Amino acid sequence: MAEQPQPRQETMSPGERMGAILMRQRPDRVPFMPFIFGYCARNVGYPIARVYDDPEKSFWAQMWTAEMFGYDGGAMYAYASMGGWEFGGEIKMPVSEWEQAPIVAKFPAETPEAVDALEIPDVETAGCYPIALEFNKIQQQFGMPIMVMAFGCFTPAGNIAEVDKLCRWMMKQPDVAHKLLRKCTDFSKKVVDYYVEHFPNYPMMAFTGEASAANQIISPKQFEEFVLPYQKEIHDHILASGIRNIFCHICGEQNLNLKYWAQMEYGDPGILSFGHEVDLSTAIEYFGDKHAIAGNVEPQIIQNGTNQQVYELCKAAIDKAKMAPSGYLLMAGCEVPVQAPPYNIYVMKKAVMEHGFYD
Amino acid sequence: MATDARKKEILKGLYDAVVDFDEDKVVELSNAVLAEDVDAYEAIMDGLAAGMEHVGDLYANQEYFVPEVLMCSDALYAGLDILRPHLSGKEADVKGQVVIGTVEGDVHDIGKNLVKMMFDVAGFEVHDLGRDVKLEKFVEEQMKTDSEIVALSALMTTSMLAMPKVIEMIKARNPDAMIMVGGAPISQEVADNYGADGYAPNAANAVQEAIQMISRLREMGKA
Ligand code: B12
Repeated sequence: MAEQPQPRQETMSPGERMGAILMRQRPDRVPFMPFIFGYCARNVGYPIARVYDDPEKSFWAQMWTAEMFGYDGGAMYAYASMGGWEFGGEIKMPVSEWEQAPIVAKFPAETPEAVDALEIPDVETAGCYPIALEFNKIQQQFGMPIMVMAFGCFTPAGNIAEVDKLCRWMMKQPDVAHKLLRKCTDFSKKVVDYYVEHFPNYPMMAFTGEASAANQIISPKQFEEFVLPYQKEIHDHILASGIRNIFCHICGEQNLNLKYWAQMEYGDPGILSFGHEVDLSTAIEYFGDKHAIAGNVEPQIIQNGTNQQVYELCKAAIDKAKMAPSGYLLMAGCEVPVQAPPYNIYVMKKAVMEHGFYD
Repeated sequence: MATDARKKEILKGLYDAVVDFDEDKVVELSNAVLAEDVDAYEAIMDGLAAGMEHVGDLYANQEYFVPEVLMCSDALYAGLDILRPHLSGKEADVKGQVVIGTVEGDVHDIGKNLVKMMFDVAGFEVHDLGRDVKLEKFVEEQMKTDSEIVALSALMTTSMLAMPKVIEMIKARNPDAMIMVGGAPISQEVADNYGADGYAPNAANAVQEAIQMISRLREMGKA
């Protein structure tokens, strides 16, 4: 029988481990940052919506769940359906047993005229930002670094107009698409400015991400025209404002877009996370020299797979990416499903403990 | 009456115009179909729909992406609007009715929209309930429209768990309704476990599967 790997003694705290990554040093082991939101609420007995609509409960649900599973990523406030609410539409918080995250309930701009009329909102009153800001103040109270949810361009635009409409404008009225993307970009920059002004000299990292620009939806050429310039501008603005690191989640099938993502800045270093659709070796090839890589354990398997399958998947990811030049973090390919068996999350940590140490 | 050569030219023109998403050309050729007495049904099936089928292949091969597919579909609808009123008799009959939607809790509707479009093209009457559709709504709509098929889409492992529930609810009210499921986390195996009658991995196959499901239904003498 093959020898069982033994769990090793940790010599760093979660904060030290993440700090090591950001200083380009080897931590004691691969950090484990699951990317987990709604699950935390359920885990401590709250309705899932609390993680999105109640800053205090959201913060504690995430901190307690981190303590319970012993993972390193602390707490952050984010979700993918951003844009609609912030620009004057409506959001629906997850309520039923099949739900996992907020959904845009009313799109604020479904016509070119409505796009023209959209005004860049005030950060303090825009959609979920008042909640996010409260959440960040709690983080500050506890001396934890703040993750600035930096909005974005293409995915928020799709959440403002509906993705199908945005796609049609890209083909038939590109000026309308560009106008909307410009407004999203300007709002993102405004968000960054707000944080820098209101949390002066406080340690912050910015969170960006893109799902609707996946190649399941748009082409690399379209990415080059409608995503690259705006996303790049947002990243440049974040870094120019003094925030040193960007955590960017590149969601879904994005293989054909990687050459464009590689033309953007992410700080020194950034952390780039990937879905299961992008192989970790490919990610390291493109970004590993300059940035830490995170990912890409398939959420579907975390929920529906056996614990052996989850363990093997994590082990394979760790074996493949552990030696990435600027570090690697074990993470799910997208949000950990709220229905995942707790034991499957435990075995993710187990895989890190048994295979993630650096000698 | 168009000559054979001219008819071929028109059908090929419609096919190409859909693939090239040239809406003006589709309109021009659809009008030519009527003016030159080409069979409208043939123009739809061998011109427009055949073109759209090729578009499906181009999407699968990552030569086209959703924006191009939507343009092709707009071109195709421009032709259908002109030609459909001129179908006669049996050809004008709808192939069947479909209730379609993305299940409760799930916002992802881009794939569902493509499936809906393919059903439309193939001559089904489609009742689109949108995204984040309450489970009871599927049951009600099926009963109200007496649709043969209910097509459910889910893109998340969380929301896919609603599928067996809604299948049970629909079957309890109408055991003859046929349920088809799809979306990224769904496989034939999952579909079988959930008690679905059909599954397809993509929009193009969805229609073939639906047609087979309806023929099974008819063979059983229930439709
Ligand atoms: C774009 C996208 C979004 C967009 C959706 C915009 C919209 N209006 O649809 C936005 C940004 C809003 C979004 C939000 C979220 N997302 Co999302 N998203 C995606 C992404 C990248 C692409 C999906 C897509 O549109 N594909 C293109 C279409 C054309 O393909 P398709 O839907 O698969 O459809 C084809 C086939 O499946 C089939 N088909 C589809 N339906 C049907 C139905 C029938 C009957 C049949 C026969 C066939 C069929 O035919 C279609 C055409 O060929 C996927 C990645 C992935 N791997 O799928 C993640 C993904 C689905 N998202 C994911 C997650 C986690 C989320 C969020 C929960 C994140 C968050 N915490 O906020 C939220 C969910 C909000 C909610 N409550 O629903 C995860 C789900 C993981 C899981 N547990 O299963 C995925 C898989 C990402 C990943 N790598 O893990 N997302």
